Parts: sequence; structure tokens; C-alpha cells
Amino acid sequence: MWPAVLLVTLPLAAALLMLLWPRRARVLHFAVAVGLLPLAVSFLLQVTVSGEQQWFLGNWGPLLAIRWQADGLTTLLLLVSVTLHLLVSAYVGSIQRRNPLPAAFWPLSNLLLASLQALWLSRDLFNLYVCLELLGMVAVALVTLSGDKALRPALDYLLYSLFASLCYLLGVALIYAGYGVLDIPMLAGQLEANWLNAVALTLMTLGLMLKAACWPLHLWLPAAHASAPAPVSALLSALVVKGPLFILYLLWTTLAPAAFLPAAAYLLASAALGAMLFGGIAAIRTPYSKSLVAYSTVAQLGYATLALAFILRFNLPEFVAAMWLFVLSHALAKAACFLAIGELQHTLGARQVEQLKGASQTMPLAMFAFAVAGGSLIGLPPSGGFLAKWALLLGLWQSQQFFWLLALVVATLLSAAYVFRVVVLAFDRAAPTAPDFSPQRLPQYLALLPALLVWVMAVFSLPLLTLLKQEL
Amino acid sequence: MLSFYLYLATAALLLGVGSLGLWRGPELLRRILALNVIGAGIFMLMVSLAYRPVLYGEPADSVLHALVLTGLVVAVSATAFALALLGRLLARPQ
Repeated sequence: MWPAVLLVTLPLAAALLMLLWPRRARVLHFAVAVGLLPLAVSFLLQVTVSGEQQWFLGNWGPLLAIRWQADGLTTLLLLVSVTLHLLVSAYVGSIQRRNPLPAAFWPLSNLLLASLQALWLSRDLFNLYVCLELLGMVAVALVTLSGDKALRPALDYLLYSLFASLCYLLGVALIYAGYGVLDIPMLAGQLEANWLNAVALTLMTLGLMLKAACWPLHLWLPAAHASAPAPVSALLSALVVKGPLFILYLLWTTLAPAAFLPAAAYLLASAALGAMLFGGIAAIRTPYSKSLVAYSTVAQLGYATLALAFILRFNLPEFVAAMWLFVLSHALAKAACFLAIGELQHTLGARQVEQLKGASQTMPLAMFAFAVAGGSLIGLPPSGGFLAKWALLLGLWQSQQFFWLLALVVATLLSAAYVFRVVVLAFDRAAPTAPDFSPQRLPQYLALLPALLVWVMAVFSLPLLTLLKQEL
Repeated sequence: MLSFYLYLATAALLLGVGSLGLWRGPELLRRILALNVIGAGIFMLMVSLAYRPVLYGEPADSVLHALVLTGLVVAVSATAFALALLGRLLARPQ
């Protein structure tokens, strides 16, 4: 139990201490971030060896207590969030002299980590609402760190996010009205297919899809993610949108009555198709490099949503593996993309994609990071993205969904188009954009690190799949 | 029994009014207030649900009361944050 509790309380306590002693914030931040990593690794190993664990917080009875549960998936998500938290804060530390973020970044990123870790662990509908709301508010506060120009997107993000959590809360209240229980494992299989539950599940799904930026409810995402500082965008795209997706998965795989599944699968699959096509097209058309990466997040979330839709329809292990491999590989790849683009943008003084001309010559490391991460977004081997797409294709082939195979091919071509749009420009060495100052090496290496971790995912594919309890 | 349905109807009305205000907008302050009205509707619904056992002579459901208290704290801080952001947005030099 202790590793799980520490993974949540350490960043929370650190955030509060940082508010008391702002001068010590950075030292404290790195001490905690480095300390959490072995904790998360040992917790992962402990759960793989001894199996799933669960606790009722405060030793209350099952009806009152908040249940925490740690299975392979949860521990993996805990480890990935801790890793990305450390990487992104190292990046922020490395650019501290050049363009410092406001000091509020340190406590806020710790609060973000704490609420995210609590979300991965919690199995209580109302507690998940509190985690979601915390996560949303901290994310908005992080967006405002880039100053006045981000205020409007941040406020829009906040309003969307508050509306989404209220929808979710109303759904929770309706479920509680029918059953008097908030604990997800206790509710599993209990829900009947009546209209009250239909309304409740629709409201919760609507709220979560809005928060997870599922197409066509993604409108807030590109503005908010593009106007945030680059390291913050990396955290938001890599981790924050995955939280609601996780709750959506819990809701529909354990809670929902079987009679609702076909309708939900249909809804999710159409949202996924829209996301993959229109997100991809928007990423190809946008003139700004950060918007390109933000729209690519919308498109990439489409793959995970598609996998979720097929989990509901066919219940093949391939789809479960595909969904979570997409989430994990996208988290790492998108962090690398945003850090690399942030570095390129800052050094070249260029906000537009056109101005990245010749970047392979002027800033080869950052460009390499972007290309490797982009390879995973397209699904080129060897990478986590390839593994995920392979699992999805395998599942679609087995269930004979040939239309969706075609849709997946088109979506892949679109992602290749927007990744190569940047890469081709970067190799256009005729008249490269001159850097404003000599490029820094350390931040570029830090952008490269998550991209290399996506490669490592391909090497450790077998343990990953067994951890997700799936055997292909 | 009538009072219970009256409370439920009020909660539904608040939800409707809030949603309409949020949809119509377009001023940001109106949208923030509309979100608060929706929140009030949901809390009203939860409190009336907590009142349900009282109709049968049992004590009220205190779990729902605790949830509403938590929800109120979250709603107050979210509103404060939204208003602070709006204040900064309006004070910004054009």
C-alpha cells in the first residue's frame, strides 16, 4: 500500500511546501521527482510479481470508503506519468536561464502529478470526479503561465472543463439515486438497462469525451495546447487528456449494461473516425507548428477511441492491448514532439511551420527527436506506435472489419503527411532559417529521450503485453 | 411526498435555466454564472435524493450530504479561479 500512497502524497506535500518556501521550490521539486521514479518502478515490479492489489482508504467499510486498486495497467500509467513529469521538469530546468517559466510551474506540476496519480488509482465514481476537477483546474492554471496571450484560451478551456465535470457529476448523482453505491467494482454488473442509467451513462460519457477532446468535442484543445508554454503542452497532451479516457474505459468495460454496448461502440467509432480524418486534415493545413502538434493529438486520440469502441463490440484482447499501447506510446511521442518543437521554435524564433526550413542542419538533435517521435505517431516500426497499430490491425482482421482497416490506412497516410510536412521542410537546406542564438544541447537531448523511450517500448513489447494481461 | 417532487422539479428547472444561459452566452461572466446555476441544480438534486429516506421515517442519507459539501468546495474554488482569470483578461491592456 505504501508505494501507492507515497506516489500521491509526496507530490501533494511537495506542492504545499513549495508554496510555503518558494525559494527552495526547484531543489524540492527535483528531489521528489527523482525519488518517485524508483518508487514507481518498484511498485510496478511488486504488482507484476504478486498481482493486483486494492485497499479501502482509512479502513472504512466498503460502502463509505474510497477504493484504490492497482493492477498492471494502473502501475504502468503511474510509471509513465512519473517518468514524463521528471523529464519535462528537467527540460524546464535546462532552459531556466534562457526563458524561465514563472515560479508557479513547480508547485502546479506537482499538483498535476498528484491528481493524475490519484485518478489512476481510484475506483470510486465521486472520487474520480474530484480528481478530474483538480486535474482540469491545475491544467488551466498551467496554460496561463505563458502570459496574457494565453488567458482567453485558458478561460475557454476552464469553462468547457467545468461544464464537462458537471455533466459527469450529474451522471454520478443519477447512478447513486438508483443504487446507493459509488464504488465501481461493487457496481460492476449491477446496472440494468433502464432509461435512468441510459441518461446517466450518456451524461458521464459526454463529459468525459469533452474532457478527453474526442472529436467533435475537441474545440478547446488546439487553442489551449498551442498557447501554453512548450513543456506544459507536453504534459497536457501526453498525460492530462488520458485521464478522462481511462475513466471512460473503466465506465464502459465494467459498469455499463451489455444492452447499451452496441450503441456506445457506434458512437465512439464515429467520433474516432471524425478525429482521425478531420484532426489529421487540420494538422496538415494549419500554418503554426505548435497547432500542428496539437491537432495531431486530436487525431491520435482517435485511434485510442477506436480501440475502445471495438473493445465494447468484440471484447478481443488485441483491442485492449491496442488502446493502452496507443495511450502509452502517444504519451511518450507527444512529449518528445512538443519539447522538440518548443526548442526549435524558441531557437529559430519561428512560430510557423514554413520557418522550420533547414532545421535538420541547424538543429539536428531536436529535428531527430521530432522525426523519431513522428515515426511512432505514424506507426513506423520499430516503435510503440507500430506495436499499437499492429495490435489494432490484427484485431480488425480477426473480426473482419474491412471498412475500418481502410479507414486506418487513410488515417495513417494523413499522419504521415503532417509528420513529413515538417521533416521535408527541415531537410530543405537551400536557405535555412538562421538560429537566433547558438542551439543548446541539453534541452535537445531531453527532447530526444522520450522519443528513444518509444523505441524501447518496441523492444520490451512482450513484458508490456503480459503486463496488460494480453497475449497475442 | 409532494415536497420531494417539488424539490426535484426545482432542481430540474435550475439545470434547465443554467444550461440555457450557458448555451446562449455570449458574455463570459454570464457563462460562469450559468455554470454555477447548473451546479446548484445538481446539488439540489443530490440533497433531495438524500431526503428520500426521510419520507419512510428513516434518517437522511448522510453520504450524499458529504458529497454535496465536497462538491460545494470544488464549485466555490472553481468559480473563484474562473472569476480571477476573467478579471485578468479584462484588466489586460488591449
